[in-house]
Amino acid sequence: MTLNLLEAATVLQAGEPTGVTTRATQMTTVDEVLVARAKAGNEAALEALFRHFEVPVYTLARRLTRTSHDAEDVLQETFLEVVRSIGRFRGDGSFEGWIRRVAASKALMKLRRQASRAPEEDLSEELADAVAAERAHGIAAIATAPERLDLQAALARLPDTARVVIWLHDVEGYSHDEIAAMAGKTASFSKSQLARAHARLREMLAPRLEGPCT
Amino acid sequence: MHLSLEDLLAVRDGDATVDAVAHAESCPQCGAEIERLRAIQGRLAALPEQRPADDIWPSLRAELTARVQRRRWALAGWAAACVAAAFTLVIAVRGGLESWHEAQLVRETKVLVAASQQLEQRLRTHGGAGRVVNGRTADTIVQLEDRIAVVDAQLGRVGPERAQSQDVLELWQERVRLLDALVSVQTTRTAYVGL
Ligand SMILES: [Zn+2]
Repeated sequence: MTLNLLEAATVLQAGEPTGVTTRATQMTTVDEVLVARAKAGNEAALEALFRHFEVPVYTLARRLTRTSHDAEDVLQETFLEVVRSIGRFRGDGSFEGWIRRVAASKALMKLRRQASRAPEEDLSEELADAVAAERAHGIAAIATAPERLDLQAALARLPDTARVVIWLHDVEGYSHDEIAAMAGKTASFSKSQLARAHARLREMLAPRLEGPCT
Repeated sequence: MHLSLEDLLAVRDGDATVDAVAHAESCPQCGAEIERLRAIQGRLAALPEQRPADDIWPSLRAELTARVQRRRWALAGWAAACVAAAFTLVIAVRGGLESWHEAQLVRETKVLVAASQQLEQRLRTHGGAGRVVNGRTADTIVQLEDRIAVVDAQLGRVGPERAQSQDVLELWQERVRLLDALVSVQTTRTAYVGL
């Protein structure tokens, strides 16, 4: 399928999500002085800024993209973009929110490039790991694994568009209208993708928790 | 009839129709579904943070340094081209009036300008292409670049009447010497890091 959602990825940078929820508020506030020093090109400040955002940005990128390698690329591209554009950051809206938008935009652009080259059915790392585990130990191996790893693997198995929509909506706090604006589609497209993502997650999670023992 | 998954999500997110909300409030099954969807949302948000396997800061820092250098040399090249252009213009105007000594100076200076441009070309092609620099090398590079900037400023202040003077010739000699040193530092560093 084509990833129309991803075609307008850059629009993401235009607006800040209005309904920011849990994850987006977990990043601690960055010092204004640090930002000012980074703006001036101070190397120590730039590294401090990088260390501050490294893990949250990588985590966001890892949720949206297919592989850890892709996520590292996105982390690097995000920071280079931040350094390039930091002089234009006006200080209205949070610095963290801005960096997250840049990161999400870079991740979507990467997915869009990949979608034009490789079929979406490509196994992600988690899926490959899960399949290997199933083959090696049978389904029980996964059923007894920590539940959150199950959820992470299931998330990674979602089609790109459904995964991006559920993460941006349910965790990053983007509204359906905002996702629709990015996609050049309607809000109902975003709603149906969110429902699709939840339906797929339920399918993948339920049998392991409730499946019959044989 | 129970709510669709889309309606359940809309109720969870607080943007459902009045009818859907009313159903959810009176139907234990749909109410439980909404709680389940809320729980999934919470579990997604609570997934552990992930850390990149490799430290990408060294390569990022090198890339940032290289960008600054490429930009600096793009600007420096432009400034030097202006200086050289002004110099050529003056020679053209005064060409017929040169004394033998002036002609000698002009020839020597022309050679230096050409050498200078070649060295800058090498710096633009090879200079700091994302390689890691140790502190001492970085200091040397900065010092050389600063001294070149001083020479450029002096050349920039030379008026047309002094374009072919011994002073100017010496400034160009100094510029070539500094550029040559800079190229050596870049090349050595490249070779060293490449090993
Ligand atoms: Zn119901």
